Amino acid sequence: MTHSLLEGWVAFARPLGLNYAFVLDAGERAAFVHGLWVTLQLCAASIPVSLLFGVLIAAGLTSGRAWLTRPLAAFVELTRNTPTLVQLYCAFLVLNMLISQKLEGGNPITPFMWVVLVVSLHKAVFHAEALRAGIEAVPGVTLEAARSLAFSRVEILWRVQLPLALRFALPALVNNLVDLVKMTAIASAIAVGDVTYESIMIWSQRDNVLELLLLILLYFGLLTWLVSVAGRWLESRLRMPGYGQ
Amino acid sequence: MANDTTLKLGRAGQAPGARTRVRGVLRGVWRDPWFIVLLLLAVPALYLRVSGTTPVAVERLWYWWPALMRGLGMNVQISLLAMAMGTLLGLVVGAISLSPLAPLRASTRAYVLVFRNAPILVLVYFTTYVFPFEVPVAHWVLPFPDWIKVVIGLALPASANVAEIFRGAVQSIPAAQWEAAHSLGFARTQIFRTVILPQCLRRMLPPWMNLYASITMSTALASLVGVHDLVDTATVASNTVARTDFTILIYFTLLALFFAYCYPISRLTRYLERRHARH
Repeated sequence: MTHSLLEGWVAFARPLGLNYAFVLDAGERAAFVHGLWVTLQLCAASIPVSLLFGVLIAAGLTSGRAWLTRPLAAFVELTRNTPTLVQLYCAFLVLNMLISQKLEGGNPITPFMWVVLVVSLHKAVFHAEALRAGIEAVPGVTLEAARSLAFSRVEILWRVQLPLALRFALPALVNNLVDLVKMTAIASAIAVGDVTYESIMIWSQRDNVLELLLLILLYFGLLTWLVSVAGRWLESRLRMPGYGQ
Repeated sequence: MANDTTLKLGRAGQAPGARTRVRGVLRGVWRDPWFIVLLLLAVPALYLRVSGTTPVAVERLWYWWPALMRGLGMNVQISLLAMAMGTLLGLVVGAISLSPLAPLRASTRAYVLVFRNAPILVLVYFTTYVFPFEVPVAHWVLPFPDWIKVVIGLALPASANVAEIFRGAVQSIPAAQWEAAHSLGFARTQIFRTVILPQCLRRMLPPWMNLYASITMSTALASLVGVHDLVDTATVASNTVARTDFTILIYFTLLALFFAYCYPISRLTRYLERRHARH
C-alpha cells in the first residue's frame, strides 16, 4: 500500500524534472526517515532545555548581585556575538576532547548532547534578554504588594515576576524558538545524523540535491509553522485583560 | 527672521554637541570591560615576546596568524557582498510588498516566509550544490567559485529580512503623515521620497546593522561547503599542528576573532537604538 503510494509520487514528480527514486530504496528511505526523527528529537530536547537555561540566566541577570550579573552579562555578550558553529566546535572539538582525555575514552557525552547543549545555551541567552525585559516591565507597585504579603525573593520571582514576564516576552520567545528549530541544522557539521546530514549522505550517492533540499525546506517549514501555531495558541490562552502588548 | 535665528542657534548648538558625542563614544570604549580584557591580554603576550619564553602553541599561532587573517578577510568579503546584494534585493521586495496590488503583495509575502523560515545552512547547501561550477557567457566559460555561491546563499535570507525591516519601518510612520501630505497636494511618490523615506532610513539602521552582524556570523557556515574561510583555516591549522594545547588555543582564538569583529557592531547598534529612542 505505502509502496504503491510512494511509486505514484515518484511517477508524479518525474515529469516535473524531480527524481525522487531514492524513496523506493529501503535503505535510503530508512536513513532519511531516521534523519527526520533525529531532527525532531533535537528540537524536542533543545526547546525545554533552552527555556530552562533562559529562565536561570534571566533570574541571575535580574538578581542585582554583581558577582552573578557581571559574569552572566559577559557570557550573554560572548554568546550573542559569536557564530553558533564556532561555539559548537569549541564545545565538541575542544571541551569534548579534553573530557575524553581525562576519562580515557569513556566519554558519556554524545555529539547529540553537545548539539542540544550548545544550541540551547545559545538561544537561552536570547530568551533571557526577552524575559529580563519582561521582568523589568513588572510594575513596582505589584512587587511592593507582593513584599507586603511577605513573599520571599524567590517566591516573588517564581509567582509574580515570571508569570507576568512570560506573557510579556512570549512573542519574542516564540521567535527565538523558531530560530532554534532552524539552528538544529548545524548538527550535520559534527555528523549527528539529522535530516541535513542524512540528505548529504544520500545526495553524494545520487545526483538529487534539489529534490532533497526541497524536502528539507518543507520539513523545516512544517516544524517552524508548528512552533508558531503553538506559540499563538499559548498567547491567546495566557492573555490577561489589561496586561501585555 | 525668527526662523533664521532658531536655525543659527540650532547650528551653533550642534557643533559642540557632535564633538562631545564623539568624546562620549571614546570614553565608552575606554570603559568597556572587553576593551580592558584585551589590554590585559596584551601585557603577558608582550612579556612572552620580550623574554623569549613563548610556549610552542603560541609560537605556532603566530606562524598561522597571516593565514587566519586571510581567512577572516574571506569572511568579511562574503558578508559585505551578501549584505549589499541582500539589501538591494530586499528593498525591491519590500517596496513591492507595499504595493496596492494584492497578488504582488501575496507573492512577496511568500518570498519572505520561505527565506526567513529556511535554515541558512540549508540555503547555503542549496546554492552551492544546485548552481553549476562554471557558467557559459557568450563565448567564454566563466568560473562560478564556491564563495560567490555562499554569498548568494546568504543574500537570500538577508533580502527577506531587509524586506521585513523596510516594510516595518514604512508602516511605523503614522498614517496621518500620509494624509497630511496628501492634503498639501503631494503625489504618492513625492510623499514617499520627501516625507516617509528620510524617517524610515533612520529607523532601519539599527535592525539593518543587527542583520549585518548576524550575516557575518553565518559566514562561518561557508567552511562546511569547502570555502577557505577563517573556520576552515583554523581546522586545517589544528589538524596540521596536532597538539592538544594548540587545538584549544586556535579554537578559542577563532571565537575571539569573531567576537572582536561583531561586538563593536552590536555596541554601535545599541548606541544608535538608544539615541533613536530619545527622539
